[in-house]
Parts: sequence; C-alpha cells; structure tokens
Amino acid sequence: MDDEAPRRSPLHDAHLALGARMVPFGGWEMPLAYEGTIAEHRACRSAAVAFDVSHLGTVRVEGHEAFGLLQRTLTNDLRRVAPGRAQYTHLLAEDGSVLDDLIVWWLAEDRFDVMPNASNTARVRAAIGGEDTTASRAVVAVQGPQARELLAPVAPGAAAVGRFHVAPFEWRGAPCMAAGTGYTGEDGVECAVPAEVALEFWEAVLGAGVVAAGLGARDTLRLEAGLPLHGHELGPGITPLQANLGWVIGWDKGDFRGRAALEAERRTGPSRRLWGLLADGRQPPREGSSVHAAAEAAEAAEAGTAAPAGTARTVGTVSSGNFSPMLERGIALAFLDAGTSEGDRVVVALRGRALPATVVPPRFWPPRAAPGASPAVASEPSAESEPSAPSASTAAVAGAVPSDREGPA
Amino acid sequence: METPDDRRYSSDHEWALADGSRVRVGITDYAQDALGDVVFVDLPAVGKAVQAGDVLGEVESTKSVSEVYAPVAGTVVAVNGGVADAPEKLNRDPYGDGWLCELEVADTSVLGGLLDAAAYRALTES
Repeated sequence: MDDEAPRRSPLHDAHLALGARMVPFGGWEMPLAYEGTIAEHRACRSAAVAFDVSHLGTVRVEGHEAFGLLQRTLTNDLRRVAPGRAQYTHLLAEDGSVLDDLIVWWLAEDRFDVMPNASNTARVRAAIGGEDTTASRAVVAVQGPQARELLAPVAPGAAAVGRFHVAPFEWRGAPCMAAGTGYTGEDGVECAVPAEVALEFWEAVLGAGVVAAGLGARDTLRLEAGLPLHGHELGPGITPLQANLGWVIGWDKGDFRGRAALEAERRTGPSRRLWGLLADGRQPPREGSSVHAAAEAAEAAEAGTAAPAGTARTVGTVSSGNFSPMLERGIALAFLDAGTSEGDRVVVALRGRALPATVVPPRFWPPRAAPGASPAVASEPSAESEPSAPSASTAAVAGAVPSDREGPA
Repeated sequence: METPDDRRYSSDHEWALADGSRVRVGITDYAQDALGDVVFVDLPAVGKAVQAGDVLGEVESTKSVSEVYAPVAGTVVAVNGGVADAPEKLNRDPYGDGWLCELEVADTSVLGGLLDAAAYRALTES
C-alpha cells in the first residue's frame, strides 16, 4: 500500500477548499484538521460535527449463505439483532487476536454491509468474501448532541434512524443508507451516500450548521470516550477479553474463528486488561510508554538508584494517549497487569521523565456521575462499541459484562 | 504566515528578541502552525545556563512533540507561566503572549549570527 498513491475520498476537493491539513491514513489521504483539533473536538461535545469517514471499507455480503457465513466468522451473535440493525463485532485470528473490529449493517434478510477499518478491508474480504463497494460511496458521520436536529432539514430519514439501527433514505433522488452509529461517545448518524452526490450532501450538511471535523478530533473524541482503535487497543496479541470487550463475543452460538483460544483465556482470566490513566497534569502520556507502580518508583527515587520510572516494577504499557480537551488533562488507555485496581497510583515513563497518573475505568467522557447523583444517568448505555468499564473488583471479566449493549433498550 | 522584522530567527524555528542584554525567546508562527493545537509546554528552570542549541524545553500538540532549542547562549532569567497554564496562547499569539522564556545574554552580538526576518521567510517558503 505504501508504494501506491493514496486513495482519495469523493469529498477530497471539498476538504482542500476548506483549507484542511491532509495526512496519509490507512492508505488514504484524509483531513487531519480544518480549524483545529481542539475546537472541532469541543464542537462535537457541544453541538455537531461532520467527519468524512469514506476511508472505512464497505464489503457487501449477500445471498442465503450470508448469515451463516458471518455467524461462523465473526464473534458477535447476529441473533441478538435483526434486519434493520447494526452490530459491532470482531474478526479474530485463531489465537484470539483481533484482526479487525467492524460494524455490520444488516440491510435486509440476505444482505449485509460489513464495514472494516480502512487498512483491514482486504483481510476482512479474505475471511468473508463479498464485494468491495468502498469506492462507490462516501460516508459522512454527523456526530454530537445536535447532530439529528441539524441533519433533519437536510435528510429527515437519516436524522430519524434509531440508535444502532440502519435505514435507507433518499437524498435528491439518490438511494442512501443511514446508521445510528459513531465513534465519538456522542449520539449521531453515519450516512453512506453515492459518490456522485456526496459533495452536494456534504455541503448541505455543513450548510445546516454542522462543523467539519478531521481525524485529529476523531481520535481525541474516541480516546476520551474510551473507544478502542485497531492497531492500538486491538490487534496482534490482543484479545477482546483483554480489551474489556467480552460483550462482542457470542458465547451461546456455535464455533467461530478464535473461539478455542478465547475460551482458554476466559477460564484463566486475561493476564492484562485495558484501563484508563488520568494524568495529574496536562502533559499527555503517549503510546508505547511503560507504566510503573508509583510507590516503587518513589522508593527507587529516594534510594537515588536511577531514573525512578526505569527502576520500579513495570505494570503495563500505554496503547493510546493524548490531551483531553474536556478534562484539560493528559489521558491514556493502557494495558495493565492483572491485579491492577481502580485508584492505583502509577508513573508513566515519558522521554526520561516520570509522569504521575491514576488508574481509572477506561472511559473519560461523559464524566461519571458524582456519588449521590442519579444512577439512571450513569447507567444508561450511551455509545456504540463501549467497552464496559472494569468494575472496581476485577474478578469477573468475560461472563459478567453486559451482553448486548450495542442497541437502544 | 507572519514573520515580524523586529527580531532574529533560528533555522529550528525559534525567534529571539533583544531588549538590552535580555533576550526573549519563543517559537515562530510557522512552527505553531505546523504543530497544530499546543496542549502542553515544558519550560526551563529559572537560573539554568544554556549554550546555543541546547534544549530549552518542549512544546507538545495533540499530534506531536517538538523540542525548543536555545537560539543563543545565556542564563534563563524568566519563564512565561501564562503559556504553561494556557498553551493555546502559543497558537494565538506566538510572537507576543506566547513567548516562552527570557535569557540573560553576555554577548548580544551573537544575535547577528541568527537569521533576519527575510532570511527566515526564505527558509520557510522554500
């Protein structure tokens, strides 16, 4: 892929006209930011933004074999949903590693659109076949508390699609598809529109007052919401159980690829799990940094042995880290050894410095209800592929997490 | 991209503005634009002595980290606490409120060895 010219979205010219900074991403050339990542991030939390996510793949799988094929290949159980619904699921390797995380749009009885990550489309097609229809359409994700309200005058059918439902809609006579899905921790709608009308659709959405947002904000939003990114929280050597995503596994269905490895891990419990790290200050922990037990780091520093973070017991590694525009603190996701608990103090070794942080459940936004606040607010399922926060007691992993959080109640 | 004529520039995208023997240091408009939204600034300790080219601090954005180098030799005599508390100042006003630190410089003639505005403009536009 590196040797080839990057692919371009049907909206490429619109991004250039808006002054976007373009970057290579998964074999595509996509907008990183327009006005600025932090402004775009905050617009998504307070109003609504539109992302061009045409780089996501679309693989159409149809026919009377399609349901059985997806059931046997992917982890989640399609019997939990029905035609007209979307489901978050994984494709595993035999060792239980997550080859890709994807959304299945169940369009009709025998017709599915499977949406892999950009760089994984070929590997997903190798497993499930189907037709790659990526080039035929653009996908515009409208996200934020005002997403539906602002989208309604442009595409009422799309604006009305239920959370984790899919529904066809027409835009200026062109057949389109909407899904009540997203990757920001906010409500929103993802619209697949034919490439020929994509530019007009994008301009109509922005004309309705939705702010264009780039991959920079998409990444800080998903990190704040604790949503995993393939290549960071999912990938070779990382199983769904380690990433707190046991709920994407349909244990009650038959065999699927990777099942045996997952069952073994379920019996023993994963050796490490994904947690959140809330830094004491603004400086972001970064991917690849080692995480150390704080008490031991302090002892080592007192003894004057060496750089504190280097001498204390390593408890894990940061998988993604950045600045949280809403909390105005450094935040990270990190795989930490079994035995780690919420509230543990750690230090992150960052370019020769020791960055103090606290272990927290791996979701930073929305902020957790303060003690005494209404529990109804805190427990409402609010986003798409939400890893359930590890409970303070880390005993139960695989079996005890909610089994069907991907849809509205 | 702005490049005011009242100061000197390094090829590493710092600026240096002399007021007597005190030299105020920051990063250029070009540098802040390339970094994107700055979220964290690490400033040197007051009293630290640096040679030209030594690391003075770090400027970190949502997408990357960049070291800031001393454009001339000197001793740090002041740092801008305001930009540490509100790093967005560095994006908004890199030549004013977004300054980083001040150096007491023994020999201000070394500023003559830095780029003037025209030369820096030529560097960033090439």
